[in-house]
Amino acid sequence: MSSQTVAIAGIGATRPTRRSPKSLRALVVEAIEAALADAGLEPSDIDGVVSDGLVMPTTVPRDWVAAQFGFQRRYDGGMSFGGAASATAPLHAQLAISHGLAHTLVYYFGVDWGTRASGPYGFHDLYAGKMTFEKPHGFTGQPQYFALWARRYMHEFGLTEADLGQIAVTQRQSALLHPDSQATRPMSLGDYFASRVVSDPLRVADCCLITDGACAIVMTSLERARDMAQPPIRVLGTGFGSEPISGDDVFTQAGGMMRIPGARIATERALQQAGVTLSDVDFAELYDCFTISCLLQIEDVGFCKRGEGAAFIRETGIGIDGRLPINTHGGLLSHSYLLGVEHVVEAVRQLRGNLGARQVANAEIGLVGGLSNPDYGVMILGRDHR
Amino acid sequence: MSTTVASEANPEFDGFFTHAAAGHVAFPHCRACGRFHWYPMPRCPHCRSIDLAWRRVSGPATVLSFTRVLHPFDPSRAGALPYVVGLVTFADAPGVRLVTNIVGAGLDALRIGDTVTPVFRAETDGHTAVDFKRA
Repeated sequence: MSSQTVAIAGIGATRPTRRSPKSLRALVVEAIEAALADAGLEPSDIDGVVSDGLVMPTTVPRDWVAAQFGFQRRYDGGMSFGGAASATAPLHAQLAISHGLAHTLVYYFGVDWGTRASGPYGFHDLYAGKMTFEKPHGFTGQPQYFALWARRYMHEFGLTEADLGQIAVTQRQSALLHPDSQATRPMSLGDYFASRVVSDPLRVADCCLITDGACAIVMTSLERARDMAQPPIRVLGTGFGSEPISGDDVFTQAGGMMRIPGARIATERALQQAGVTLSDVDFAELYDCFTISCLLQIEDVGFCKRGEGAAFIRETGIGIDGRLPINTHGGLLSHSYLLGVEHVVEAVRQLRGNLGARQVANAEIGLVGGLSNPDYGVMILGRDHR
Repeated sequence: MSTTVASEANPEFDGFFTHAAAGHVAFPHCRACGRFHWYPMPRCPHCRSIDLAWRRVSGPATVLSFTRVLHPFDPSRAGALPYVVGLVTFADAPGVRLVTNIVGAGLDALRIGDTVTPVFRAETDGHTAVDFKRA
């Protein structure tokens, strides 16, 4: 039903930086201002406000945001956290619009983990099991969690460090085509191997950046979006998936370890709603908090079989000119680390077109995958053809 | 009995440290369904029974994966780099994976699948940590 089809009508992003002189709240306001301006809207046009359900409520709450702009909220929502929340933001718009609760919603997300003393490592202090059984053994940082996965994956499937390096090198090439990327120097495979080992087998170059910044997205019905300032980008499908395991356990106790079962669940749901298959997807923005996690999502979303991720990358090509460009802005590894909300912004930009050397040729359909282990969100976007 | 800050709010965590202080490795085991679980929960996650008891394992474990840490993610460990974090499994506690430090000689030759045995370490806060060394 076209009356319920949701479109992204506006995007806004602050320029990502390691340390911003502005507060996180100021960055979020800046991103929302930019998204409204992009859509050609005034605050009075917004009647729904959406964020993630964990990080924003404790840092930049929705009521505070509404007060800054005078948003009269008829819908207010937040689900999951971080990457999965950003990739499932249209679920709120679908719900609110189809039930007549709201007609135009703004979603926002940002972090100041470049400035905040505890950075991303402090985030996991909320998990009592981790604090009690892991922290006393110096197991406290996300690179360590994924290092355990990477070594085990190498053992089971013969993955090499060079395979991981290829992901980092390719995404760096894409990042250099984006004017706002935090990473500004080229990286060769030799540079990758010269990068400092932090938790073996992972190096600095296997890890995402650390960023202060925020992004915002305006969502409305396709009909309304067609009267706004930008060509609408259609939300073809959205999906959420997870597994019943807590953040305490997910990196060490999950039955399949090295698997993200929610990714398949979310993808199937989104594809079903969109009425397309993965072979229809022209590019993907996947949650590359680490090289190894990007590789695992290529498998778990379903682009290839388990254990075949490295061969898929070699044979298909994930650069701008590859057969499946992945993380066309450089991703979390080389563009910025705003937990994947910037992936949504990049997918919209690719579908609007005219990105010059960074433009994926003939981009019609893009997939965004957001990981907040164990949660996973998938958004499939497409150009609007009336 | 020693407690940690976290275990004050999670009394189901304490048994691990009580057993460790006595020189044993033990995990929560459900008397109703006969299965282990980890981390400790108020109810068995498999069958939701509250008839839980700590069951000792014989000791030796197998290395499922490990990482050599060279960056001070925890600033208090900056002077102790590098150290090895291991994830180990137990033949007599199926489904349990324990995060630990692997210590002692021969770490350069450490491999997935190696057998390791427990070493009990008294922490300054009074509780006992369980590390492992190559067998």
